[in-house]
Amino acid sequence: MQWTLDHTSRDRLVDQIAMCVRRGVASGELRVGEQLPPAAELAAALSVDRNTVLAAYRQLRDEGVLEFRRGRGARVVSSGPASSSVTEAAQALIATARRHGLGTNDLVRLIKELT
Amino acid sequence: MTPLPLAEPNRHSVYTGRTTSWPMVAATCVGAIVVALNARQASASLGDLAVPLLLVALGSVLNVLTASSVRATVGPNGVTVHWGIVGWPRCTYRLDEIESVEVIDLPWWRVSWGFWWTPRRTSCTVRSGPTMRLSLREHRVVTITVPEPAAAVTALEAALGGRAS
Repeated sequence: MQWTLDHTSRDRLVDQIAMCVRRGVASGELRVGEQLPPAAELAAALSVDRNTVLAAYRQLRDEGVLEFRRGRGARVVSSGPASSSVTEAAQALIATARRHGLGTNDLVRLIKELT
Repeated sequence: MTPLPLAEPNRHSVYTGRTTSWPMVAATCVGAIVVALNARQASASLGDLAVPLLLVALGSVLNVLTASSVRATVGPNGVTVHWGIVGWPRCTYRLDEIESVEVIDLPWWRVSWGFWWTPRRTSCTVRSGPTMRLSLREHRVVTITVPEPAAAVTALEAALGGRAS
């Protein structure tokens, strides 16, 4: 799975790490039951403090995306509460776009322009 | 560990992935049971079998614990490979050791099913198919199984590109 951090971003590193996991889960890169890298290992790879990674993992655990098990690290347990609402919003967007004659490529381009 | 120079000092792109060979875990368990049953039939007393069976059990457990899965971290700090459930053994290839990286299609007869080392090659593979291959400056070739080799190669190429600039 891909982890990208921008140290100059206004977003906190903790939030950026949590966002990487959410994106991985939403895209299917991370499946339910999959184990995340140990915090120390990921922290060394991303050049951040171990506590930063642990804080992100805890945040995701509180959201119900991860669970911690002794000796087994952090595992994905669900796609998170946000994904269903995002899916519904995306479906509504697709329906609106179809009504206005916009295709998939037009939608993707529009989203890229806005983000 | 001292971080190496990064592609962009403020931006870190890292790939992590774990691959587990469940067929290998099953084969190890079945092999251990077959050896134990054959040994039981060939020997008269259980006392004679205690040590060989213990060694077979120990070997099987060690094999499952250390060689059944491989975890790789790829990024500006190079490539780190951790074996098995406990992440040991472990090896690290720093960026300045790596000449190039590519995705190869590994045939099944080339899979090492564990850690394999020869003077010219290191193989950390648990399955056939698309696999990441590193060419080191010391003319060694390192083959590593990762779930998404293309993504791993992209992350490493970005880091190597940053090193060159």
